[in-house]
Amino acid sequence: MARILGGIGASHAPSMEHVYDAGEDVRRNEEWEPLFGPFQQVSEWLAELRPDRLLVIYNDHMDEFFLNAYPTFALGVAEEYPIADEGFGARPFPPLPGDAALGWHIARALVADEFDPTICQELEVDHGVISPLPMVDFAEGNGQWRIPVVPLAVNVILHPLPTPRRCYKLGQALRRAILSYPEDLGVVVVGTGGLSHQLTGPRFGRVTPEWDREFMRLLAEDPEALCAYKHEDLIKLGGTESVEVVNWLAMRGALPREARPIVEAYYPHKIMGYGLQAFAAAT
Amino acid sequence: MIEQSAQAELTEDYLARLDAVQPSDLPDELDLFDETTARRGIRLNKAAYSLKDADQRDLFARDEEAWMDQFGLTEEERRLIRSRDWIGLWRAGMSIYVMVKLSGVTGTPLPEIGRQMRESG
Repeated sequence: MARILGGIGASHAPSMEHVYDAGEDVRRNEEWEPLFGPFQQVSEWLAELRPDRLLVIYNDHMDEFFLNAYPTFALGVAEEYPIADEGFGARPFPPLPGDAALGWHIARALVADEFDPTICQELEVDHGVISPLPMVDFAEGNGQWRIPVVPLAVNVILHPLPTPRRCYKLGQALRRAILSYPEDLGVVVVGTGGLSHQLTGPRFGRVTPEWDREFMRLLAEDPEALCAYKHEDLIKLGGTESVEVVNWLAMRGALPREARPIVEAYYPHKIMGYGLQAFAAAT
Repeated sequence: MIEQSAQAELTEDYLARLDAVQPSDLPDELDLFDETTARRGIRLNKAAYSLKDADQRDLFARDEEAWMDQFGLTEEERRLIRSRDWIGLWRAGMSIYVMVKLSGVTGTPLPEIGRQMRESG
């Protein structure tokens, strides 16, 4: 039977891609060490843990899905996931390896649990997946991704959005989906996005570190408390685009209640509250 | 009679959940991409979304007017694109996520969009 080995909450942002692509010297300079140092710790932890799969809960930014038909939850069931061209040419990474069999199992398990995702045999992933992923997985030397992924996209763009509580319950259903998979696989669940940021209107660039830190504390210690927040609350506390944090809540729902962070970092910088939180969860 | 039974079905809990789905108490400076914005912005969003495609970016660079012809834009929407009026485009319903694609093809850095956004208040 498959097992859940842990979880990772991580911001995603084009800025993280620019820094990563600029090379090791820039990643570990004074400006970026506060974020990329902890990413390195997570990378080392994962290398030791050796998960067989990553289940990545993220949101697309109109790079795969568009307003003609916007899915609330969309699940990848493909053998590989090409990198999307977000309007500047695709980043030069090979496609992410997938696991179609696991994807289809999760699709059936979610439907059995009364979650009904859009099922995607083709899916291009954008910075919602690949801005944090190279820091934890990409084997830079040989240019190959190490760990196959199953991506799950959550609508955080076109209101009405699935509620925070619904996303937490989705995580719980994903947990049952993984635990019921017959193959002996170790899975790490990743949730990406946030934390505070505001990209539109007169509050452009506003970051709210106090709330971000409180969010991370609650996520670790009392995730059910976050289920009571409405999107309206999250927008007021962290900005319009900060509602992406529901992806972290879904990740947390897949972990045991008593899981605690083993790596934790928060770095408010320029227009983003960058967060990183890794949980060990031996089940 | 019918009304009474509907009231019984529409419990307080249900109505509270229905109410919470649509944020309705945000200050003016915090926006949402919802029914109003989605309906208003559909042409502009389709236009900017097309720029995912390298051929569309080439066409934009070669002949911006011909590029705009494809999307049934209103004259006002065309004016907003021509004048790189980011705040105007935002108010007309363009999502920030496709606006980023338009910023790329027009060579506008995000901080410049940010500057305009901040000054809009």
